[in-house]
Amino acid sequence: MKPLDRRTKTGQTAVWQARLIMLVMINIAQLWILAATVDAALARHYSVLAPLVVASGVCFVITVSIIKWWRPTSRRKTSTGYVREDR
Amino acid sequence: MSSKDLSETIKSVLSDEDDVRTATAPYQAEFPYERDEEAQVTRREFCNFLGLTSAALFVGAAGFAAKAAIDARESVSHPAAAIAGAETLAPNTSLNFSYPTERDSAILVRAIDGSYHAYGQKCTHLSCPVYYSREHHQLECPCHEGAFDAATGNVLYGPPPRALDAIELEVRDGQVWAIGRNASEPNRG
Repeated sequence: MKPLDRRTKTGQTAVWQARLIMLVMINIAQLWILAATVDAALARHYSVLAPLVVASGVCFVITVSIIKWWRPTSRRKTSTGYVREDR
Repeated sequence: MSSKDLSETIKSVLSDEDDVRTATAPYQAEFPYERDEEAQVTRREFCNFLGLTSAALFVGAAGFAAKAAIDARESVSHPAAAIAGAETLAPNTSLNFSYPTERDSAILVRAIDGSYHAYGQKCTHLSCPVYYSREHHQLECPCHEGAFDAATGNVLYGPPPRALDAIELEVRDGQVWAIGRNASEPNRG
């Protein structure tokens, strides 16, 4: 395997940082949603519970997609199986 | 920063690290662990941790919602209880009582027209006890200046997010009875 050049490593670092930042932001949003869900459940506001749970589920799905499918573009093989040519 | 300053900075940091290792050497002997490995958390591990956190938050939200939905299906009936002193209550005055249990404070209001209305006494903002204002003919919360309509329990102004819990009343043989308590809604129609 070819050793990574500086630009490739910089790109990988940027992607990792972007993933981390997005995951942290989504976690914070889910914390808000959880607090709103608990408040609605205790106040017996049943009409807003379903949308809140759906929103939390969407956040979780986005988290899983970021972890599973986001990959640095410098990798030779993409997540869909396409093999890039060597530079 | 010049390379000389940089190298000096690195040396001072490394010497600090050596000092810490020397000072904690006796404890390391008793409780050995790999210091270098302990300090390292890879980005992958942290991402996975955030994913697990996201899953836990989702499960928590779904769990609370499910429990609330199950509780909503259970119809809670409270036994009827006579409100002592309600018949002699003058118009435009109020009376405190407890319903359905001793811990559930409530307030009975007799309006100017003689009709009776009863509500849970806990303000829906932060649970301060509300009182009846004879001057304004409304229920008011002394904590954060919220107010509720005496006839419906709806929020008139202030921070409370929803109406007071309503207590159903029934007059039996001239005596006023509390026969049920309904949870509050955003604002009753």
